Amino acid sequence: MPFDLPISESLKRARWKVKIREKESREPPHVTILRGALAWRIDLRTGEFMDRIPDPADVPVELLTQIHKADSWKQLQQEWDCKYPANPIDDRESPEVK
Amino acid sequence: MPTVKPLPVTVSTTFLLGNSKSLSRSLTPLHPTLVGSTAATILQSLSQATKDTLWISYDPNSTEKLLRALSWPAKSLGNAMLFHAMSPQTLPALQHCFGKYAYAMREESLPPDELVEALLSDHRADLFIGGIVDQSSKTITLWRGHLGSLTVPFSAFETSGDGIAPDFGRFSVTDSGQTVRLGTYEAATDAILYEFDPDYRRRIAQQRQITDQSFGASLRRLRKQRGKRREDFAPISAKTIARIEQGAEYTHHKTTLHTIATILGVAPDEIATY
Repeated sequence: MPFDLPISESLKRARWKVKIREKESREPPHVTILRGALAWRIDLRTGEFMDRIPDPADVPVELLTQIHKADSWKQLQQEWDCKYPANPIDDRESPEVK
Repeated sequence: MPTVKPLPVTVSTTFLLGNSKSLSRSLTPLHPTLVGSTAATILQSLSQATKDTLWISYDPNSTEKLLRALSWPAKSLGNAMLFHAMSPQTLPALQHCFGKYAYAMREESLPPDELVEALLSDHRADLFIGGIVDQSSKTITLWRGHLGSLTVPFSAFETSGDGIAPDFGRFSVTDSGQTVRLGTYEAATDAILYEFDPDYRRRIAQQRQITDQSFGASLRRLRKQRGKRREDFAPISAKTIARIEQGAEYTHHKTTLHTIATILGVAPDEIATY
């Protein structure tokens, strides 16, 4: 089952969801913010939005604060690594072979 | 975002077959006209249908009545979304009557309020509104919001590292078309489209913040997506793979490219699209 980050009741009522779903092993580690037919991806390595569209500014600051809270962020990273061990957050592959 | 051809839905041409007022209320943003179930009301709706009409039905009896009421050879009635059991023998008739149509069991399609949200989205083509699981061919055909379809094999839904496996007997779509649910397993719609629709992949690459568009960077992204190490490309050495990825080796022998592509499960000219 997907990992659903617990968020405040007010954000839930406003139909916001924060998930790590299955079948995303082929993408960079990320968490998906969903609301209706829109989705925003946040890179779990850098903490930055991965896409220009939809506009990241449309995500409420309150939700971003909850996602980036130290324990939430750590939990999200752990959940990703658990779900996708072949595509971990800490990608220590030798940078390049000269 | 690139323009998606609008679904030909106008406020005056959405017909909801049957008598369900509650369904009509759920679909309110589409301004549906309830067709009713009498011969007279069905004939009246048929007379108003154009190629841009959208027919929605959750009731097999109403769909049957509509098809029986037609004068053959029938004119094009527009497009249809039929959310109920469908006999395979009916499909040729649907194909004849409707420019585009989608059919799925109600429980294997979006709930009406989410369906509306998907249909009114400007990226409806990238949302799934329902689907059909075929256990014999081990495929799922997914209907997109513009009534196109995408068929994907069961093998696309690999068990995740935490042991969550897809249950193909419990299929549904959720999150307004952004998620395919297979029991407790939830697959992201964009991940499915990215893997199986090359046009989507090219389109989405333009809007995602991918800074390095070089062939080497594409190869590295695809390799990581496939969970491969540089050592996995024998007889090509890990060093050669690394050199290609860093752009230090620009001339790729045809055989080398073919080997890399085969191991990654794509056509050689597809690598650069990742």
